[in-house]
Amino acid sequence: MSEHVADVVERLPDADVFVYHGRIFIPDAYTAGAVGSKFLIELRDNKRIMGTKCPACSRVYVPARSTCTECFEQLDQWVEVSDKGTVLTYSIACQPTVAQPVPAPIVYGIIHLDGADTGLVHMIGEVEFEKLHVGMRVQAVFKEQRTANILDIKYFRPL
Amino acid sequence: MTTEKKPSQEFIKIEYAQPRTYLWSSGRYLGRLYKEAMDNKKLVTNRCPKCKELIWPPSAVCGRCKVEAGEDWVEMSDKGTVIQYTYLVFPLWDPHYGEKWANPYPTATIKLDNGVYMVHHLEEKDPEKLKSVKRVQAVWKEEGQGRGLGDILYFRTIEE
Repeated sequence: MSEHVADVVERLPDADVFVYHGRIFIPDAYTAGAVGSKFLIELRDNKRIMGTKCPACSRVYVPARSTCTECFEQLDQWVEVSDKGTVLTYSIACQPTVAQPVPAPIVYGIIHLDGADTGLVHMIGEVEFEKLHVGMRVQAVFKEQRTANILDIKYFRPL
Repeated sequence: MTTEKKPSQEFIKIEYAQPRTYLWSSGRYLGRLYKEAMDNKKLVTNRCPKCKELIWPPSAVCGRCKVEAGEDWVEMSDKGTVIQYTYLVFPLWDPHYGEKWANPYPTATIKLDNGVYMVHHLEEKDPEKLKSVKRVQAVWKEEGQGRGLGDILYFRTIEE
C-alpha cells in the first residue's frame, strides 16, 4: 500500500522528445464484514479455510458468506473445508497490469475444495502450463507472513 | 436489568490500490523547450513566420495565423513583471499520489520581458510583502528533470 513511485521522465534519444510515464494513485479500502472477517482471521491465525453451511439445503459456501443464495437462510454454522481441491476451470493471464497481485504470467483458477459446494477463485502456481487441465488436484500453499487477506493463500500447487 | 457486553469481534479492513498508468509525449516542439530548460536552464520558444509574434508555448502551428510555425527559435528572458498574483492558503493534494503540497502557495501571472505571459510560483511567501513585488527572475532547480517549466523552482524578487 501507498508505494509512491515517482513519475519517470524518459528522454528519447536523438529526438529532443520527452515521454512521461505517469501514474494516478487511487487508494481504496473495504471492510470484509462480520463473516468475511472471520473467514480471513481463520486463514491468518490457523491456516484453515472455513465455509458456512446452509441449515436448509446443506450447501457449504467457500469463501464464507452470511446468506444462502438459494434459500435465503442465515448461515451461522461454520465448517472447515479441506485445503485440497479440484480445478473446475482455469485461465492464463500473460498481459501485465498494475492491478494484479503478483507479476504476470498468472494462472487464475476456480478451485472446488473438498467439502465445499462452491468454487473459490484463486491462483495456481508451481505448474507448467502444458500440464494444466480441468479436474487437476491442487493444494493450498500458505504464506509465512499472513495479514488476513485472501492472498494469505499464496497459490494452489498441483498434487 | 443487567447489561451484557457482547464479545467484540475483530473486523478486517482490506486496503488496496489500483493505480492507473498513462503515457504523455511532449512532442518535438515542447520537447525543444524542455531540453533547453533541462540542459542549459534557458527558456526558448518559436516565432511565427507570418505575424512575427512569439508562440507560447512553442507549437507546430501559429494559433493566430493558422500557418506552420517553423523553426525560428528565440531565447526568452527569464526576468519579468508580476501582473497579478494569488495567495493560496488552502492545502492542496497531489492528485497522483495523495500527498499534500506545501502551502501557502503564492502563484503569479508574470509577463516576461519578451511579452509572454506565464503562471508560476513566487519565492516571496509574506502576504504583505507580496503586494509590492514587481520585478522577478526565474530560479532554476539545481538538477534539470526534463519537466519543462517544472524545472523552474520559483520566481525570486529582484531590485532594478
